[in-house]
Amino acid sequence: MKVENFQSEFEKVLNKTNFSKKFKPIQEKAFHQFLDTGLPSKKWEDWRFTKLNKFSKTLYKVSETEHSQITDFNFSKHHISDVSTLTFFNGHYKKEFSDHIPEIEIIDGLIDSKHKEEISSPTDSPFELLNTAFMDSSFNIFTKKNQILEKPIRFLIVRSSEDKLIVSPKINIKLEENSELTLIEHHVGESSNFFINTSTHAQLLDNSKLRHIRIQSNSDSTINFSNIDVNQNQNSQYDFFQFASGPELSRLNIHTKLNGQGAECSLNGLSLSSSSQQLGAHIITNHFSPNCISKQNFKNILQDKSSGIFNGKTIVNIDAQKTDSKQSNKNLLLSKDAIMNSNPQLEIYADDVKCSHGSTTGSLDEEALFYLRSRGLSLDRARNLLVRGFATELFDIIKHESTKSFISDRFENWLKKNAS
Amino acid sequence: MLVENGFIQMLTIKNLHAEIDNKSILKGVDLEVKPGEMHAIMGRNGSGKSTLSNVITGRDNYLITNGNIHLENESIVDWTPEKRSLEGIFMSFQYPVVIPGVNNTYFLKAALNAKRKYLGQKELDAAGFLKVIKEKLNELDMDPKFLQRPVNQGFSGGEKKRNEILQMLTLEPKLAILDETDSGLDIDALKIIAEGVNRYRNSKRSFLVITHYQRLLKYIQPDFIHVLIDGKIVKSGGKELALELEEKGYNWLDS
Repeated sequence: MKVENFQSEFEKVLNKTNFSKKFKPIQEKAFHQFLDTGLPSKKWEDWRFTKLNKFSKTLYKVSETEHSQITDFNFSKHHISDVSTLTFFNGHYKKEFSDHIPEIEIIDGLIDSKHKEEISSPTDSPFELLNTAFMDSSFNIFTKKNQILEKPIRFLIVRSSEDKLIVSPKINIKLEENSELTLIEHHVGESSNFFINTSTHAQLLDNSKLRHIRIQSNSDSTINFSNIDVNQNQNSQYDFFQFASGPELSRLNIHTKLNGQGAECSLNGLSLSSSSQQLGAHIITNHFSPNCISKQNFKNILQDKSSGIFNGKTIVNIDAQKTDSKQSNKNLLLSKDAIMNSNPQLEIYADDVKCSHGSTTGSLDEEALFYLRSRGLSLDRARNLLVRGFATELFDIIKHESTKSFISDRFENWLKKNAS
Repeated sequence: MLVENGFIQMLTIKNLHAEIDNKSILKGVDLEVKPGEMHAIMGRNGSGKSTLSNVITGRDNYLITNGNIHLENESIVDWTPEKRSLEGIFMSFQYPVVIPGVNNTYFLKAALNAKRKYLGQKELDAAGFLKVIKEKLNELDMDPKFLQRPVNQGFSGGEKKRNEILQMLTLEPKLAILDETDSGLDIDALKIIAEGVNRYRNSKRSFLVITHYQRLLKYIQPDFIHVLIDGKIVKSGGKELALELEEKGYNWLDS
């Protein structure tokens, strides 16, 4: 889709009768900014490796009311027990497939926001602006002070349509002091060509804790972009884990800002790719205050002609003394044709810090394969075991048991198909 | 079956030639090991000892250019490493491999159950497996905590070798190859391992002990000793040969 093709679709957005008029000025402003910025090209440093050809070639349409009709979607396949689920179908909130969660405010066109918080797009990234302009559903989570939400909240984001749709959910999270929340973003879709462009803004006040899990298992022809922007106050904690086995093209952008002393963030991801998939992670951790801890740990397992990107940057600003930061990207190539682009970067302006970074990319260890086979395990089993060994340490980050076992099951399924 | 002098052979190696990266290492090895026998292969570094054990176990970067290896009555040279293991060949590695992220219990249970399945026995569940393994751990004076750690990760040299013997006791091979099992061991660990091996000896099981020094042979007494020099067995004898080698070194055997 070229920039000029967005105009007619944007008019459809403005003319939507079921959507609150309140956001129109924000959307218009974002759209004009988007037109000025334009779409990224290979000349943009951070977009050098992203394969945008499919996006450029496809004409996407905004999701209309007719696309909210659920015909024969199999929900049971995506069931995770012991979570509260909110379902969004082609960008439309589906109350009948959702649990009632009083803590959550849902803006789905018909419902107006009770909160005064402005929906903003603080970056000038084109897809962030596009998300604001085309915003079709929005969920706000505002905790109360000291509120601990034990049960994870899951957004089940479903895409299923014959049409080529662009879907733009916006998630706003504000955790008040000493509050805790686990949020699961679960992206599924069995349909054809889709473009999902999510934007998440989280603000973590003092001593609050957000566990954010993304499960991305879209169909092979989907494009999934996600922009996550996190602001952390003193002693707050942000734990992120993404499990991605889909879609055709995905780009995860995270920008965490450690603004208050003693804040911690741990960003982790496991990407499994095959055929010609490209799964990318573009991560920026920005230390602004002293005594903060950050971790980036991303792994890719690549089969066939798939490719992966890790662009990780940790910036330690001049005031961020006593920073403790680790950055790691490890990749396993299961095929000679797979390609990994790994670029871990450190920018350090403070002098009393502990920072490490590293990146490895390689195929399965032949010595280890022989060792396992010499103990009677078949070549397939041995491969399988090594791939599992490479990945599973990441699952320990997930504290919620049923989510953890859901993800391990998905991982095992992938292994069966791709690593034996 | 290969019957010679009325005995069935466990391992028969005939005129074995093997090379790696076009470099000839084994240049015609002949060896016969009967059930219940323990043979030691001694030799200097680079004589081909480890190549011999790797070729028997089936490592595929070695190329057999001539000769044959039989286990009992079947030629094994075309067998995969896993088939050789399932048929009863075990090698204790000189350098056991670290397998990050795979815990020892999972690995041992998978290996044992692969073997049981191959033999048509019922696979063990977690409880059944633990019962088996606890006994073996005791024998080797190993802390059960070993089981929870990733295979060989963070293990000391001695712990790695003990873990190898634990695998041997668990998989119950009929032919066990101990490749430089004594290297990197202190005397206490060496004694524990030797006791484990000696208890495992019986009239049906055979051993091939590959060693550089005769130190190990004080605790594990072989029936026969063979000296390998430049890819060939140049001398064979009884256990007294080890003492002779300790005294005289290998030079007197050079041709």
